[in-house]
Amino acid sequence: MRGVERKKALWGFIFTVPAIVFFAIFNLYPIFYAVWMSFHRKDLLSLKPPRFVGLANYVYLFRSESFWNSLKATFIFAAGTFVPMVVLSLVFAALIVSRKRLQRFLQMVYYSPAVLSSVVAASIWLLMFDPRGLANQFLNFLLNTKGVDYRWLANENMLRLATIIVYFWKYVGYFTIIFVAGMASVPRSVHEAATIDGATKWQDFWYITLPLIKPTTLLVCVMTTIQCLRTFSTQYLFVQGGAPLKPIDVIALSIYNTAIRDHRIDRASAMSVLLLLIIMSLSYLQMKISKSEEVSY
Amino acid sequence: MRWLILVALIVSTILCASQIEIIFWTHEDPNRTPLEERYIQEFQKMYPNVKITRVTYPSAKIREVVLTAFAARKGPDIFNMEIQDAYPYIVNERVAPVSLSALGLKSYDELRQMYVEGTLDAVTYKGKIYGLPLELTNWCVFINKKYFREVGLDPEKDYPKTWEDMVRVSEKLVIREGQILKRRGFDFRYPYYLTFMLPMVEQLGGALLSEDGKTAIINDEAWLKVLRFFKEWGPNGKNLGSPTYTAARKDFNKDNNTVTMCLSGLYQILRIKAENPQFYESKEWMVVPFPVFEDAVKDVRCNYYGHYYMVNAESSKEKQEWAWKFIAYMLSHPEEYLIEVGLIQPKKDFVESDTFKNYPYSKVFLEDMAKSHIVPLHPKGPQLEQLIKEAVESVMLTNTTVEDALKTLKKKANDLLKEE
Repeated sequence: MRGVERKKALWGFIFTVPAIVFFAIFNLYPIFYAVWMSFHRKDLLSLKPPRFVGLANYVYLFRSESFWNSLKATFIFAAGTFVPMVVLSLVFAALIVSRKRLQRFLQMVYYSPAVLSSVVAASIWLLMFDPRGLANQFLNFLLNTKGVDYRWLANENMLRLATIIVYFWKYVGYFTIIFVAGMASVPRSVHEAATIDGATKWQDFWYITLPLIKPTTLLVCVMTTIQCLRTFSTQYLFVQGGAPLKPIDVIALSIYNTAIRDHRIDRASAMSVLLLLIIMSLSYLQMKISKSEEVSY
Repeated sequence: MRWLILVALIVSTILCASQIEIIFWTHEDPNRTPLEERYIQEFQKMYPNVKITRVTYPSAKIREVVLTAFAARKGPDIFNMEIQDAYPYIVNERVAPVSLSALGLKSYDELRQMYVEGTLDAVTYKGKIYGLPLELTNWCVFINKKYFREVGLDPEKDYPKTWEDMVRVSEKLVIREGQILKRRGFDFRYPYYLTFMLPMVEQLGGALLSEDGKTAIINDEAWLKVLRFFKEWGPNGKNLGSPTYTAARKDFNKDNNTVTMCLSGLYQILRIKAENPQFYESKEWMVVPFPVFEDAVKDVRCNYYGHYYMVNAESSKEKQEWAWKFIAYMLSHPEEYLIEVGLIQPKKDFVESDTFKNYPYSKVFLEDMAKSHIVPLHPKGPQLEQLIKEAVESVMLTNTTVEDALKTLKKKANDLLKEE
């Protein structure tokens, strides 16, 4: 029997080897290289070998006003996106699941923006946020004002809100589908038992569905956090389109500018390492909090 | 039979070995592509052992594509970028000096003699020349004459000569719906501040760097006046324009009543022709010089920038030689580059030719260029430009005072210069 188990384990390992090799080459190696580079001085164009500088890049970053601004911009964006994204994707999923008809159609409609490339999505929204664009026209119509420029790309707070809207629009469908899958995995018998016991639809959702989809909620929370902290293309395109950099200079954009504009791959690596640590810490924290409430039927 | 196969293999190996492939990366320019593809065909016909592969990238992308390729030591054999982006490649010795033998010349002085004075300075480093100019571009003001007449102005007489005129004329031309600009009189070419804004500062006696290059942002009064000008221009002032509107030069070509004036280079003429032939044929557009301030102490016009063809220093010597030979072949057709693409090659005999002199508005551009200088070339130029962008946008789009914006700009720019 032990021989069969060992054989199964061996085959299991063999089947995972391609994925491990792929992950090692394209993910692990760049991570280790970035960590190594972050302790060196290196100009991206220079042919001189990297020079060891210890923690100098990290010291520079912690003293740099623009790095702290990037952290601030990233956390404002993440906080502004995380809550509506998780709450509303859950609500949309509940609406889809509760419907008897058009479930597939609604899933497709919600999911469609996620298929669009981020660059295309940001470009479309950029046109809408132009002072003469649809966003101003819509708000003027809604608020019964005329000719008011709400400065979507100019005012600091409106600019932040604009990037949050684009990101929310693009990814809410994606997380809705994950919630739909999570809700579908709850056995129907549990809902039926609750209904027989006299639970209302709201009680069924609140006391049955929500606790039982905790693993899905955790997955969505972790994924949303990671995605929000790594956000780049919307901010990049908005800045290219004339928006001021400072309010939306998120860490990923700052890493890009440090490496590509300033040629400082060493500092960009140090920033990447710090971003990785932040993402890992937050993900660990979320998993730790929810571990005490694992689900079993 | 085996012998035959062996001989065939050896022959094919020798043939392959003598075939040279040159990889050539350049930015997208729909008018330039057919021209250079033809030069490639002609060159390959003359030298059948040379194969040239031309790859284009969008202008906004080429900087990072070339940079990452060079960082991985896999750069193309030939490339071009705006000189302020290409300059670090020279300083870091990533590009090869011009091969005099490939050009059939004896000395760099002989090469310099072929070009308008000073136009090779940007690519001269430690006595050697590292690039040949594809184009030098300065910006002048393009005007839609129809909208001038519409508000009772005579475009030939009333066009803005000074920046103060620009404000007055724009106020007449602008059409607003509440706070929203339906038609702008003029708008700047954001965010190329080192190209168009720095000359405005210099007109008032200011500078980006001190002569020794150790101090940044020289002459507070000049910078303050220009920052004040932009504050007034933006939505918090007279609301005449803003970086958040569609680029003025793009709207200009459409002739759709959204902008009357924009800043652009000579190449804009052929872009109008390609995008809106009706507007081009109507002759309802004209080009006038870059304005100066009324109290200017220096007559400086819009900075010019250039695209220079360069060759990868890590390509084999043989490839470098062929690459320079091919570049020289392409650039031996300055008239076609002007007529078909609208690019100015600063070759002495060409600039003095009738083809150039008879080209519409070439005189306006050339006269302005004579009063201007190349965009500042500094290893930290892109970062300095970013800091200026932050300063201008903070006064235009937020409530930051010009004094505070200048203080921040000065501190950050000087800290940047002090960095290792």
